Amino acid sequence: MDAGTLHNQIGAVQLHICSNDSGFLRKFRNSSLQCISKGFALDVKLLSKGICNSKHGKVRVTYTSLCHASVVDPALRTSLSANDYNQKPSIESSLILIRHGESLWNEKNLFTGCVDVPLTKRGIEEAIEAGKRISNIPVDIIYTSALIRAQMTAMLAMTQHRRKKVPIITHDESEQAKAWSQIFSDETNKQSIPVITAWQLNERMYGELQGLNKKETAERYGKEKVHDWRRSYDIPPPNGESLEMCSQRAVAYFREKIEPQLQSGKNVMVAAHGNSLRSIIMYLDKLTSQEVINLELSTGVPLLYIYKDTKFIKRGSPVGPTEAGVYAYTKSLALYRQKLDEMFQ
Amino acid sequence: MASAVFHQTIGNLLSQQHLHNSGFHQEFGNVSVNLISKGFKVYTGLSISRKGGYSSGKRNFSVVQGSASQTSVVDPLSTPSNDSKNGFQKKSSEAALILIRHGESLWNEKNLFTGCVDVPLTKKGVEEAIEAGKRISNIPVDMIYTSSLIRAQMTAMLAMTQHRRRKVPIIMHNESEQARAWSQIFSEDTMRQSIPVITAWQLNERMYGELQGLNKQETADRFGKEKVHEWRRSYDIPPPNGESLEMCAERAVAYFKDQIEPQLCSGKHVMIAAHGNSLRSIIMYLDKLTSQEVISLELSTGIPMLYIFKEGRFIRKGSPAGPTEAGVYAYTRRLAQYRQKLDEMLH
Repeated sequence: MDAGTLHNQIGAVQLHICSNDSGFLRKFRNSSLQCISKGFALDVKLLSKGICNSKHGKVRVTYTSLCHASVVDPALRTSLSANDYNQKPSIESSLILIRHGESLWNEKNLFTGCVDVPLTKRGIEEAIEAGKRISNIPVDIIYTSALIRAQMTAMLAMTQHRRKKVPIITHDESEQAKAWSQIFSDETNKQSIPVITAWQLNERMYGELQGLNKKETAERYGKEKVHDWRRSYDIPPPNGESLEMCSQRAVAYFREKIEPQLQSGKNVMVAAHGNSLRSIIMYLDKLTSQEVINLELSTGVPLLYIYKDTKFIKRGSPVGPTEAGVYAYTKSLALYRQKLDEMFQ
Repeated sequence: MASAVFHQTIGNLLSQQHLHNSGFHQEFGNVSVNLISKGFKVYTGLSISRKGGYSSGKRNFSVVQGSASQTSVVDPLSTPSNDSKNGFQKKSSEAALILIRHGESLWNEKNLFTGCVDVPLTKKGVEEAIEAGKRISNIPVDMIYTSSLIRAQMTAMLAMTQHRRRKVPIIMHNESEQARAWSQIFSEDTMRQSIPVITAWQLNERMYGELQGLNKQETADRFGKEKVHEWRRSYDIPPPNGESLEMCAERAVAYFKDQIEPQLCSGKHVMIAAHGNSLRSIIMYLDKLTSQEVISLELSTGIPMLYIFKEGRFIRKGSPAGPTEAGVYAYTRRLAQYRQKLDEMLH
């Protein structure tokens, strides 16, 4: 498709290669190629980002600055200013937020907070359903809290994912843990999705209410006090966190660790809890404290955001597979879905 | 069926409490009741039918006449034996030990060497865990030990969703002061309905060193079939930078003897959810196998194994029958009673 004739020009060439194998939509940005042969003219066919047709890779080549004769070290990227093509393709990545489903203490109406309580049968089903809804959305890296109900939700959801990459929980708690969990095959690494667990994504810590029955607590402390603790922004339960305190550590973590991933084009999934996710959404949607208090997140229903040009665009909840109409949120996501379909034909 | 007629004796009555739906505080524990009325005689009857049926009678009392003393009133709740919550009579030397090997993981499916890489379960692995749970749904569990790998932890949590006793497994966090403080529970009642879950790297799968992530076929091509066979099936030859089965056994059995066996000694029923090699190692210890025998030992995935720990010995009881399998049978009388209690509880 591309006749490559390179003129006697030396320049830095930006390659955008889409390969169909395990790299999938891997983007090789900014590789420099030194073209020094005579008599070749580069026939450049500009393809918009992300289009890969099945069998052959398509190469998009862009000339940057034109200079003569001097050999440019291929590894050097020349300045990307001198052309009319938008050098830096717009970085677009997807962000999925999933709140875990019913836990055994939800069922018993006990305040849970950071107590590590697992999912009920229903919570398991909710996780699997959530997985079906996101089965066509790319995921490169997963963040969860340190609590099993969020981790299980992520793992169960990913059993439904059509891309069939393997989530691998990374272990950092000790030198031995790190050493013992090493993978020795590049190929296998490429088919892996790192899963990072972080206490900063834990549910709001509920202090001395943890384990107490909601009704009992109302009787003991009075309905109003309990309502204050549960629904205010900045009043913590005894020895616990307020929503504000929870936000502080959750959003700090998001900005420090997760946002850079999105910035570098990685598609991220965050499986966490009601309050840690509300905190993050408060940041993504720029909500006021009043607004965030009233924000209710459905359990097990994933929320999609598109991160583009450092902005977060809310895209609602991906439809379930049985719901009428398959539609894509962005062109890139549509193409990704198409690739998955082709992969499974 | 127990007609209770009380004589004029004062003694300790050990009675098994009748369980009600709304949760009960004493789990088949011992309650001392002070009898001071005249004219009653207690009729005891234990009915366990061996074949299949359980009498769904109302109340079975097993009564033991303790010392006959006069007039002093004993506080019903303050006897030391009150606290044994293990489904058996006071200070029982009998405890159940369940071993479950997790089911299919995503790398099993792809035929990759897994070792200590933290790979989760497949859909099939999830189903296996649930099936395993059904098989042990009537066997008491007071404590759970798992490895630090998600596939074993998920197996335990999925299995316990099927348990009829409906206690709540709670994973213990000890990794930092904050983790410990943040996971505290502030209700006694809630704690009594909880099953502590302890995660331990010592129960991890055998660490496979430089083979982790490699394809089994590829590895055979690269290193030669024989070498790979040695690493996989010998007792003491480790893969490069990995553990031999012997090394794995050393840390797994040490942990078992140190941490788990004392629980069994104190009458706690324990479930261990772990991996092929860590469990084989433990079984080697329980059944006193030779290294030759343990090499040939294959553990089915997702099929729980039951041992009864009694008087310092481990009695192997095989795999509990699935709920659909013909014939319900109890392994010991106490387990039969536990099952009966659950039946009564859930009516």
